[in-house]
Amino acid sequence: MLDVAKPVVELKDVSVQYREVCVLDSITLEIYERDLVALIGPNGAGKSTLLGVILGLIKPSCGSVKLFGEEISPNNLRYVGYVPQKTQTQDSNFPSTVFETVLMGRVPRAGILHGLSEDDKRKVEEVLKMLGIYELRDRRIGQLSGGQSQRVLVAKALVSDPKLLLLDEPTSGIDAQSKTEFYEILGKLNSEVGITIILSSHDIGVVTKIANKVICINRSLFFCGRNSEFSPDLVLPGMYGYPVEVMHHDDHA
Amino acid sequence: MTITLDFFLSMLQQAFIQRAFLIGIIIAILSSVLSTFIVLKKYSLIGDGLAHTAFGGLALGYYLGLEPLWVAAITVILGSMGITKATRSAKISSDAAIALFLQLGLASGIVLLSLARGFGVNLESLLFGSILLVNTEEIITATVILLVTLAIVFLFYKELAYVSFDEIQARAAGMRTWFFDYLISGLAAVAVIASIPIVGVLLISALLVLPGITSLQVSRSLRETVLLSPLFALLSVVIGLLLSIALDTASGATIVVTGLLILLFVLALKKLASKTRKTIRY
Repeated sequence: MLDVAKPVVELKDVSVQYREVCVLDSITLEIYERDLVALIGPNGAGKSTLLGVILGLIKPSCGSVKLFGEEISPNNLRYVGYVPQKTQTQDSNFPSTVFETVLMGRVPRAGILHGLSEDDKRKVEEVLKMLGIYELRDRRIGQLSGGQSQRVLVAKALVSDPKLLLLDEPTSGIDAQSKTEFYEILGKLNSEVGITIILSSHDIGVVTKIANKVICINRSLFFCGRNSEFSPDLVLPGMYGYPVEVMHHDDHA
Repeated sequence: MTITLDFFLSMLQQAFIQRAFLIGIIIAILSSVLSTFIVLKKYSLIGDGLAHTAFGGLALGYYLGLEPLWVAAITVILGSMGITKATRSAKISSDAAIALFLQLGLASGIVLLSLARGFGVNLESLLFGSILLVNTEEIITATVILLVTLAIVFLFYKELAYVSFDEIQARAAGMRTWFFDYLISGLAAVAVIASIPIVGVLLISALLVLPGITSLQVSRSLRETVLLSPLFALLSVVIGLLLSIALDTASGATIVVTGLLILLFVLALKKLASKTRKTIRY
């Protein structure tokens, strides 16, 4: 019997309206296991809203959303890791250490009224080592650089053993070297650990190189398909509304 | 007025002074355990809002001839739910929601107290508390509230930490964050009600905020922040009470001034340490 792959994320005719403004218009797409998806669009295109819809943070005005083939619920959200935009994240004066912050990622798994175990702590150490930030474990998160902070948030998302990882412009405000290392880590998580990744970004040249699937939105869907089928010259001018030249930085690839 | 050491020591042997220290320590631990989460959730003004809502409730109790503290307890619990609901609705910011309840409580309280004149209301005691008049029943009630609060914070510590860190991420992870928002404001409401007879309407909010702010200045981790917060609160209460006896000043206000002085001292030490580090680096 053929093993037909089920979509990890399934959106059917999803629209989102804030008062009278249409933020997403009739989006239909499917994302499958082990996809590494580059989500591209200009500022205000609805990328964060789309991620919010997938996470159940934003209720669509119409349409349906399925995660792992089911309606969104706390049960299937446990298998989703989320790294928010840097500007949306917590107060940089929050007093937690890197270890405490990453350990929070195990809280939903542990369940209410259950304490975090030694296994949870071992898992945190394992992920910190994998992402090369083990030495920072006792440092307060407010003392970290932009690149280090983003790795901590990725580590926090990873300790919950997610099957799906959503990252909302994770490299904004990070230096080029850190970006390169960050994308390498994402590539490994996808190819070696098998995590499905959706990555929203403005680094079109870079993310379309590491991704195997590309989604272009500007309120409505302009492109959704394999990377090999994606032609920036055909899709991007229509989506951005002006000619776009994609810069490829080979050293980032 | 000069107070001799003998008089000071004899005062400390008085049962009412010992009761004052005991209730002060209980209230210090109770408010400071919540303080870290209240400050980190940016709910710092919630104590003020709830205390003034309590003021309205107390006045309503006097006006209706019912037990004022029970009426205040009901209005404060309702107020805490209202503030949380308004804040979560995203139609109104948390500071505006708190300000609304604060003004509502204060204004209605003053109107009701004006109408209830002649009913023997001690306004000064309502506003500033009367820690030296505390009785055994109040100590038992506060102890029970403290034990229940400690148990709840211990049981939900990891969830409270996560929700305080980033509510959006917690929601994205499938956590029912609304429950913890209501839990924090509900516990703050109970702490306010337990503390009003002791430190009064005007000063309870300081006890809910100062220990957390001071602790944040020196702690190296969230765990340390939560553990150091009661220590700073205990220092404020014990030193504040000793000073109030020695200087014959209002005890509640002296406790709050002591807490503020401790914060300023900690900030000055922090700045000095930072300057010393820079000098060594150069």
